[in-house]
Amino acid sequence: MADEKSETEAKSEAQSAEPKAAAKPHAHENHSQENGHSDHPHDAGHAGHASVGEHVHDHGLAHTMPIPLLVGVLGALMALTLLTVSVTHYDLGSEGNLVIAMVIATVKAGLVVTFFMHLLWDKKFHLILFLTALLFVVLFLSMSSTDRSEYQPRIDEYSQTQAP
Amino acid sequence: MSETTSEPVGEPKGGQKHDGHPGHDHPEEHAGHGHGDAHAHGNSPHLAHHFDSYQQQFDAGKLGIWLFLLTEVLFFAGLFCAYTIYRAMHPEVFVYAHYFLNTTMGAINTCVLLISSLTAAWAVRNAQLGQKSLLMLNIVITIACACTFMVVKYFEYSHKFHDGLLPGPRFHPTEQVWEVESFKLKHPEAAEYAERLAKAAEEKKKKPAAAVAIVPGTEQPTFEKPTEEQLEPLVKAGLIGPLSEEPGGISRPKDAHVFFSCYFFMTGLHGIHVLAGIGVWIWLLVRASKGQFGPKYFGPIDYAALYWHLVDLIWIYLFPLLYLIH
Repeated sequence: MADEKSETEAKSEAQSAEPKAAAKPHAHENHSQENGHSDHPHDAGHAGHASVGEHVHDHGLAHTMPIPLLVGVLGALMALTLLTVSVTHYDLGSEGNLVIAMVIATVKAGLVVTFFMHLLWDKKFHLILFLTALLFVVLFLSMSSTDRSEYQPRIDEYSQTQAP
Repeated sequence: MSETTSEPVGEPKGGQKHDGHPGHDHPEEHAGHGHGDAHAHGNSPHLAHHFDSYQQQFDAGKLGIWLFLLTEVLFFAGLFCAYTIYRAMHPEVFVYAHYFLNTTMGAINTCVLLISSLTAAWAVRNAQLGQKSLLMLNIVITIACACTFMVVKYFEYSHKFHDGLLPGPRFHPTEQVWEVESFKLKHPEAAEYAERLAKAAEEKKKKPAAAVAIVPGTEQPTFEKPTEEQLEPLVKAGLIGPLSEEPGGISRPKDAHVFFSCYFFMTGLHGIHVLAGIGVWIWLLVRASKGQFGPKYFGPIDYAALYWHLVDLIWIYLFPLLYLIH
């Protein structure tokens, strides 16, 4: 994008330089500045703002949460807490209960992250960071779980030698 | 990311900077500087000298807190990993031990933390809109909820200490699981049957001459054959059968203390985070009382709230994993 920009800039400079010789130094200065600006770190940030622009621009530095949404999210979280407690009274098989509990917890976590933590309106980069962390947690847990029985024979052997 | 790198200063770039970026209009940020002395922010007391604008300062801080939250997630992941593996290997220990936890107290604590999360998010809104007294009120409610959480936790912990439900070699439960209220409520028949089994085992111990092993399921003179309802909860919790500490009698499952290691380390680390959060909120309450936060400078409130939501998030998983085992 930076190259493209400077190219068009250079073209317009070349065009404007022909008829007006006096404007040349100014145009040149402008060009170098624009070039520096294209490489500028703020560029990515601005692009990010532009995509969510309508939420951001009229509220200052970041999105402001409306009160009804905040209270609504709390209501949903409370309802899900009640649900997850009451669902333990039903037997869905040991795995079934665990899966339901984890699904409800994940929905609750999603509500907190999306609304309370502003991730819906935040820079997408923060979302990517968070999802990366979760990816590594999942990798950590799943790889450790596949490995979990690996040392059981040795543990059994050890506990037999320890037994009186 | 790019937001953290400080802009090269010295070059004049006041007006032209925003050309071509309609999504971003903060002309007032650059009014006080840019031409000549970029280090002096004039009448912007909360803009650190190494930042160019309030937006840049806020974005840098936000990136910082998110990176910190990532390390926190991975930090807790170690404990969740230990939990996952131990539960997968020894499910009976978790079934056994969860009867000792008070679900009501856990649920109350969940609600308290959720409410404090709301007030924390609300406080961010107040700071953004410069509502000083509402901001202070919401911070006070957040602190009050956090303290309530810790008080409930204190009662839970002291109850566990009293009942000998401690990790490692200090694990000496004073109550058998079938004497615990929540077990009796859930499996009345099994509790009654377990009591009879335990009494019979005790009598057998007194007169070793009649050393007949009590193997559930096998016919015994004093017992009718136990029903599925009487037997299943006991087997599932590892009280009888090969997973029990006393395979021939009735007892608790082997290595039951490991659950309490998980419990104390997970809730303990979480509790330390709540305490740290209380400290941060008190500090921010003092700053808010001085009227330091407003539309251009509310970063600290936002970052503290993000941290607070993560603490809440971890509890959202801890609650079903520890208290709601089926």
